Amino acid sequence: MAVELTGITKRFPGVVANSDINIAVRRGHVHAIVGENGAGKSTLMKILYGMQRPDEGTITINGHTVSFSSPSDAIGAGVGMVHQHFMLADNLTVLENVVLGSEPTRGGVIDFGAARRRITEISDNYGLDVQPDRLVEDLGVGDRQRVEILKVLYRGARILILDEPTAVLVPQEVDELFDNLRELKEEGLTVLFISHKLDEVLQVADEITVIRRGTTVDTVDPAQVTARQLAELMVGSELPTPETRESTVTDEQVLRVADLSVRATDGRPLLEDVTLTIHRGEVLGIAGVEGNGQAELVEAIMGMRVLSGGVVHLGSKDITTWSTRKRREAGIAYIPEDRHRHGLLLDSPLWENRVLGHQTERPNVKGQWIDRASARRDTARIVEQYDVRTPGIDVLASSLSGGNQQKLIVGREMSGSPKVLVAAHPTRGVDVGAQAAIWDYIRDARRNGLAVLLISADLDELIGLSDSLKVILRGRFVADVDPAQVTPEQLGSAMTGAGERP
Amino acid sequence: MSVATAAPRVDLRRLGITIAAPTLAIVFSLLITALILISTGDPVMSTLDQVWAYGKQPRVIALTVNQATTYYLSALAVAIGFRMNLFNIGVDGQYRLAAFAAAVVGSSFELPKPLHLFVIVLVAMLVGAMWAGIAAVLKVTRGVSEVISTIMLNAIATALIAFMLREVAVEVAGSNNIGTKPIAESGALPGIPLIPESPLEVFGFIVVAALAGVAYTVVLGRTRFGFDLRATGHSESAAVASGVNVRRMVIVSMLLSGAVAGLVGMPQLLGGASRSYSLDFPAGLGFTGIAIALLGRNNALGMAFSALLFSFLDASSIILDINDISKEIVLIMQGTIVLSVVVAYELVRRYSIVAEQRRVSRQLAEEQASARPKEVST
Amino acid sequence: MRRVTTLAAAILAGALVLTSCGGDDAAETTPKDDTGTSAAASDIKVGLAYDIGGRGDQSFNDAAAAGLDKAAEEFGVETKEAEASNGEPESAKEERLRALASAGFNPIIAVGFAYSASVVTVAKELPDTQFAIIDDSAAVGDNIANLLFAEEQGSFLVGAAAALKSEAGNIGFVGGVDVPLIHKFEAGYKAGAEAVNPDIEVQIKYLTQPPDFSGFGDPAKGKTAAAGMFDNGADVVYQAAGGSGGGVFEAAKDAGGFAIGVDSDQYNTADPAVQDVIITSMLKKVDVAVYDFLKTVTEDNFTAGPLTYDLEKDGVGYSTSGGQIDDITDKLEEYKEQIISGEITVPTE
Repeated sequence: MAVELTGITKRFPGVVANSDINIAVRRGHVHAIVGENGAGKSTLMKILYGMQRPDEGTITINGHTVSFSSPSDAIGAGVGMVHQHFMLADNLTVLENVVLGSEPTRGGVIDFGAARRRITEISDNYGLDVQPDRLVEDLGVGDRQRVEILKVLYRGARILILDEPTAVLVPQEVDELFDNLRELKEEGLTVLFISHKLDEVLQVADEITVIRRGTTVDTVDPAQVTARQLAELMVGSELPTPETRESTVTDEQVLRVADLSVRATDGRPLLEDVTLTIHRGEVLGIAGVEGNGQAELVEAIMGMRVLSGGVVHLGSKDITTWSTRKRREAGIAYIPEDRHRHGLLLDSPLWENRVLGHQTERPNVKGQWIDRASARRDTARIVEQYDVRTPGIDVLASSLSGGNQQKLIVGREMSGSPKVLVAAHPTRGVDVGAQAAIWDYIRDARRNGLAVLLISADLDELIGLSDSLKVILRGRFVADVDPAQVTPEQLGSAMTGAGERP
Repeated sequence: MSVATAAPRVDLRRLGITIAAPTLAIVFSLLITALILISTGDPVMSTLDQVWAYGKQPRVIALTVNQATTYYLSALAVAIGFRMNLFNIGVDGQYRLAAFAAAVVGSSFELPKPLHLFVIVLVAMLVGAMWAGIAAVLKVTRGVSEVISTIMLNAIATALIAFMLREVAVEVAGSNNIGTKPIAESGALPGIPLIPESPLEVFGFIVVAALAGVAYTVVLGRTRFGFDLRATGHSESAAVASGVNVRRMVIVSMLLSGAVAGLVGMPQLLGGASRSYSLDFPAGLGFTGIAIALLGRNNALGMAFSALLFSFLDASSIILDINDISKEIVLIMQGTIVLSVVVAYELVRRYSIVAEQRRVSRQLAEEQASARPKEVST
Repeated sequence: MRRVTTLAAAILAGALVLTSCGGDDAAETTPKDDTGTSAAASDIKVGLAYDIGGRGDQSFNDAAAAGLDKAAEEFGVETKEAEASNGEPESAKEERLRALASAGFNPIIAVGFAYSASVVTVAKELPDTQFAIIDDSAAVGDNIANLLFAEEQGSFLVGAAAALKSEAGNIGFVGGVDVPLIHKFEAGYKAGAEAVNPDIEVQIKYLTQPPDFSGFGDPAKGKTAAAGMFDNGADVVYQAAGGSGGGVFEAAKDAGGFAIGVDSDQYNTADPAVQDVIITSMLKKVDVAVYDFLKTVTEDNFTAGPLTYDLEKDGVGYSTSGGQIDDITDKLEEYKEQIISGEITVPTE
C-alpha cells in the first residue's frame, strides 16, 4: 500500500469536516476520491498533504506511520500536491518556476544546467512534453498543469494528489491529462485523483472511494459500477429529506429574469440568455456542478454584476439598473454562498452584523442614524427565534460556529418580510441540526408567500425544498425538472453530464 | 436562552486588551531607548528626569498641547481613510496646499472676524478635499492605488506651491524668508490661556480639533454613513453584498479625509505670529499623522493621547539637544513605538480572537451540559 | 485594515529612517565638550541655535561654528549649540531660544533667517538676553543684533574676475534656490561682469523654487545646470548653491571650463580632483561675524541693530588660492577700492 488513511477525523468549531475516514491506496494506482462539494474531500487532502493535522486517526505512507506538520514534511515523505489553482509565477520561465524554492546550487550559484537536464529527463520519462525555457505566461492551461505536475515530480514525489485537475481543462486537455496519468502509473507512481465528475473518474481510476458528509461510504471498482450507482453513493438516500409537503405556489410573478447574459472581463460568456420566473410561494431550485454560472446568476440578480444583456423584474418593476441597496430595500433578501466573504463582518459584534445589508431599514436605523438600541433588541430577537447559540450579541461574529453564523444570517435576511430570497448554499458547512432548522425557516417563509431562488449542491435539499428545478450547465439552463418526479441520482447524472436525462 | 440586550456595558476585558498593546509598545520603546542611552554612555535616569522636569513646565505643556493639536488633526485625516482601508499618505501634500491656498485667499480681503475665519477654513477644507479627491477619482475610474497616487500628489503639491509662491509671494523686508501676504487681523484666531502660569496661549483652533474628534466618533460610530464606511473597511466584499456602493464610499471618504487634512495647517496659519504661508511653514505633519493614527488605533481618544505623546517627545528633543544628548533619540523612540505597536496590535488581535472563540464555545458547552445530556457522537 | 496597517508601518519606517538621515551628519560630528578650555575664562555663556543641518554641513553652519570655536578658545566663553528638527513649527524654534535662555545662555546667536520671527518673539519676552541673528534684518528689537553680509559686493568682484577670465564673453550663474538671499549674489555677479565687459552674456539658472530647498543639496542638479551653460558657450560658472556646488565643479571639469566657489575658499575644501577648475571663491565670512559679535559682547559692547559685513570690514571678499587669478588681482583690488570708496554702488537685486 502506498497510502493508508485510518480513522481520520477532523473537527472545526461546530462542524465535523472528516469523521472516521478509511482509505487504502495501492502503489501504481490511480485512486479517485469522489464526493459532492463540501463532502470533505479538500479537508482530507489537506490533512494528507500536511496543511492540517487530523484530530484522530493515522496516516501510513509505504508502511510507515507518519505525522506531517507542514507540506514540506509531506514532500519529504514523497507526497506532492497539484493544486486546483496553479501556483506559478507568470513572468518566470518553466525552468525557474520548477526550481523555485528548491534551487540546485553549486558553490552558492544556482546550477541551471543541472536543473534543465533533470527537467528534460523527467519530462521525457513521463511524456510530459515540457519545454524548460518557455515563459509560463505564454503557456496554455494544460501546459501549466503539466508544469505543476513536473514541479511536484522534480521534488521527488512518488505519490501525487491532484485536486480537481479537470475543472479548468477543455475536453481534449482532459484526455491528454489522463494519458499523462497513465504514464505516471506505469512508472510506478501513485495518483490520488479528486473529482466530482463521474464520467471522468470512471474513465481513469483504478479504484474509487466515495465520501459523503465527511466520511468514506464505500470503495468500488470502476469496472463494476455505473455512473448512476456512483451518483447514488455520493448523494445517499438514508438522510432525512427536506420534503415540502403541499404546494403553495401562486400565479403571481415576483421575480422574473429574462435573457440574462454575463461575460467575464475577457469576454468569455459566464451566463447566456438565462430566463426564469419565480412566483409568490414558490421555491425555484437551480441544480448544477459548481462553477457553471450559479454564482454569476446570484450576483446578477443582486445587482453586484454588470450585465451584458437581459432584464430583471421584481413584481411589475424593472430593476435591471437598480443598485444592490435599492434591490435589498425593495425586498430581495440574500443568503450568500460564502458567508465569510459576503455575509458577515467577522471582526464585528453580532448586532452590527444584524445591521449589515439592512443599514437603511428599520429597526436598525432612524433616518441617518444607527438606532443602536432597537438594532440590539432585534438582534436578540433573531438570536432567540432562530436559535443562534451565543452567549450574547456583543461577541464577534468570528467566534460563532458556522452553523450559528448561518442561522444569524438567515434570521437577518428573513427580517423585514422580504418578497424574494436568494439563497446560495444555505446549509453548506452547517451541522445537521442547523440544517434542518434552516430548511424549516425557508419552508415557513414560502408558505407565507416568499419567492425563493435556491442554489445548492445538496441534491436532497434541492429536490426536497423546490417546487420546480432547473439544471444549469456552462452558463445555460439545459433542463427543467419536476422535483416530484426526479431522484437524486437522476438529477446528479443530469448535472454531471453522465447521460441518463430524466 | 436569554440574551443581554442592555446597552453595552463597558467590557473591561476588551478595554484591557485594547490598552495592553500601546502600553507594551511604549514600554518596549522605553527599554530600547534606555539601551541606546546606556550604550552611548548617557545616564538613563537623569536623562528621563531632565525630560520630565522640562516637560512639566507650564510653558512647555502649552507648547506640547499646541503641537498635539496639529498632529491630532493630521491623525484624524489619516484615520478616516484607515477605517475604510484606504491609505491616504497624501495628507501631507493636502494640508500644505490647503494652507497655502487659504493663506492666499485669506490675505486678499478683510471681512468681519467670524466670517473671515470661516472663509479661510472653508477654503482650506475645500482645497484639501479637492487634492485628495484627485486620488479618489483615479482609484475609482482607473484603479490607481491611492498609495501611489497620493505620494505623487505630495510631490506635485510641493512643486505647485513653489510655482505659485513665486507668483504671489511677498518678501519680508530684510529677511530671506518669503511668504504669502499676511492675513489681516480679522483673520486671526486668538489663543486661549488654557495652561495656568504659561506665557504661551493654546491655539484657539484646539476647539475645532476637539469638535472634529467628536464628529469623527459620532459619524463613524452612530450614522449609516459611518457604518457603511467601517463595513467597507472590515470586508469590502461583504459591504458590496450588503448594498454599499464602494466607489461612492471611496470618493466620499477621501474627500472627507482631505477636508480634515485641510485643517491641519490652520492652527499655525490662524494662530501663529506671521499668519502667512512662508518658507518655514511646518512640513511633514502628514506623516506624523500616520504614526499617531496607528498608535491611537484610529480611536478619537486614543489618537489624542498619541498626539500628546508625540508632541511631548518632540518638545523633549529640544532639552535633550541642549543637554548634549543626541536628540535623534526621540526619533528612534517614536519609530520604535510605531513599529512595535503594529506588531503588538496584531498579536493582541489574534490572541483576543482565539480567546473569544474559546470563551464562547466554553460558555455554550456549559450551557448545553446543564440544559440536556450531551448527544453521543460517533 | 490590516493591509493598510502593515503598509503604513513599512512606509513610516522608511520615512523615519529618512528623517533621521537628515540630521545624521550633524549627530555624527557632534562637537567635543563645548565648555571653553582656554586660560582666559569668562563667565559668559553663549548659545548658538542652528537651522536644520547644524554643525557639519560643510557650509554656512560650519562657518558659524568656526567663529564660535575661535571665540571660545580666545575668550574662554562657555558655548552650547542646538539644532532645529525637520519640519518643526515656529513655536519649536521659539522654545529652543527660550530653553537656551532659561539655561542661562546669553547672548544667543540664531543662525539663519528661519529664526527671524522667533527671535523677535522671544527677545521681547526676555529683554535681558542679548540676541544676534545672521542673515536677517527683519528681526528688529532693542536686544537683537542683525549680522548681515554684503554678498553682492563679494559677488561683484568674482563677477569681474569671471568676465576678465572669460574668453568667450559668456559666463554663468547657478543659484541653489530662488530666494532673495541668492538674488543678491546674482545681482552683484552680473554687475561685476558687466563692469568689465558691458556686452557679456550672463546665463542664470536656479536649481529649485522655494519651499523646495533641495537645490542647496543636490550636486546632480547642479551638474546638469552647469553643463547646460557650458554647452551654451559659457566658460566660467559661479555657483551659489551650497551642497549642489560640487556638481558645478564637476561640470566645469568635464567641459574644460572654470568655476567660482562660494562662502568659503572652496579651492581648499572641494574635492581635489576638481581643484584646478576653481579659479576663485566668493568669501562670506560668517566665522568673522560670529567671532566679532562675541568679541563685542565680552567687551560689554553689545549693539543692537544691523551690522553689515562688507568689503570694508573684510566680511566678504574673494580668494586667490591656486594662483589662477594672480594676473588680475590688481584689477580686482581696484574695483574693491572703488566699492569701498562708494565710487561704485553694487545693486542687490
